[in-house]
Amino acid sequence: MGDSQYSFSLTTFSPSGKLVQIEHALTAVGSGQTSLGIKASNGVVIATEKKLPSILVDEASVQKIQILTPNIGVVYSGMGPDSRVLVRKSRKQAEQYHRLYKEPIPVTQLVRETAAVMQEFTQSGGVRPFGVSLLVAGFDDKGPQLYQVDPSGSYFSWKASAMGKNVSNAKTFLEKRYTDDMELDDAVHTAILTLKEGFEGQISGKNIEIGIIGADKKFRVLTPSEIEDYLQEVE
Amino acid sequence: MTKEAIDMPQKGGFSFDLCKRNDMLLQNGLKMPSFLKTGTTIVGLIFQDGVILGADTRATEGPIVADKNCEKIHYIAPNIYCCGAGTAADTEAVTDMISSQLTLHRYHTGRESRVVTALSLLKSHLFNYQGHVSAALVLGGVDVTGPHLHTIYPHGSTDTLPYATMGSGSLAAMAIFESKYREGLSREEGVALVAEAIRSGIFNDLGSGSNVDICVITKGQKEYLRNHMTPNPRTYVSEKGYSFSKKTELLSTKITPLRETVVVIEGGDAMEE
Repeated sequence: MGDSQYSFSLTTFSPSGKLVQIEHALTAVGSGQTSLGIKASNGVVIATEKKLPSILVDEASVQKIQILTPNIGVVYSGMGPDSRVLVRKSRKQAEQYHRLYKEPIPVTQLVRETAAVMQEFTQSGGVRPFGVSLLVAGFDDKGPQLYQVDPSGSYFSWKASAMGKNVSNAKTFLEKRYTDDMELDDAVHTAILTLKEGFEGQISGKNIEIGIIGADKKFRVLTPSEIEDYLQEVE
Repeated sequence: MTKEAIDMPQKGGFSFDLCKRNDMLLQNGLKMPSFLKTGTTIVGLIFQDGVILGADTRATEGPIVADKNCEKIHYIAPNIYCCGAGTAADTEAVTDMISSQLTLHRYHTGRESRVVTALSLLKSHLFNYQGHVSAALVLGGVDVTGPHLHTIYPHGSTDTLPYATMGSGSLAAMAIFESKYREGLSREEGVALVAEAIRSGIFNDLGSGSNVDICVITKGQKEYLRNHMTPNPRTYVSEKGYSFSKKTELLSTKITPLRETVVVIEGGDAMEE
């Protein structure tokens, strides 16, 4: 990277002290599809809209929520291809950690390493920042955890958070509805209601995706029929 | 850029940088350190519903038994296991590495790992190291294409067989297989035959000994029978007990168990950072 003609960083400071490229990256995230996460007392749920560009797209082949380790999952808002690169890197880092220490990677560590990758791309030559924000949901010895990682590489632990198009409405909704002693099922219902708030068209099991991790510490993506069951409960 | 957590050689393959120095040292009379070899009898066979792998549990360091109960059947994937003969460190490291690569592969493809994938990864790694990684493996598993059993030699060649043996006790075990193996064995018959072959290695080969480990892999299920048979039990305490000669007066008796029981307190205070 250092030898090429593009060994200068494309992300440079503006006179006001901001990194404009990162601001633009956040704008890219803000125009992506809504996704949100809620930490319950006994688990975490992450959900996202799955609006496809045309009815001809095979929606079963699209999966926005990805598994990183058996007990950690992730969802994104923003540019899909960028998220794929991060998912690949995170999986590899989790696996390397496991090979070295023979224990499953703690959620905080994986988030930290993913954030470090994202930060690298704001300070290296010839590359641009990632146009995604990630919501990482995991369950380890410290209990259920939810982290948001931004294009700048900063990360925060949240009780509930939203990203993407409808973020302000969604966050207000979550602030009103969130309680500390919420259980996983309630959290899933709340997540669905939050998505419904800003949803254009009819919500169904095929145009949203939900991933949950419970006390069994196994992350999994719900099937469309399971989502339909939850939707009916909400109605 | 990020530093890799595990240091890998830059361009793959063996680094011959120190060979000249080693030759010079040998000529000057240095004795090379010996490494832990596993001696070993490892076997595998395909039965009606899948694959059965078997291994002994003795690890040797020259003429000394270094480990009386080591584990030679290594995990590769939920549906694939691998027995290893040769240098213990090599078999452990290579199976661990390929297991890690297969986990990543499973995440990327979303599918169950195939035995031929593990086979290809192992043989290309061993070939790259031109036989210097001293690992002779018996790889077995059941995937969507059915049950598979392969042997892999340290230089990177492989065989696909219905029954296989490797290690210093391979001839003893193969003798049992050649006379008693037939297609379509049931689970009980298969386990009994594998146990017999390993026992043959244990009793007739110096490099193999102690107990019999067995792993049965069928479609969707695996059973790891650690120490399935222990034909070489050890007694640590004399059965006769201890008694003092008549003139000694017994004042008090205190028995201290060799193993302390540890009490685990759930939800206790975490250690300070």
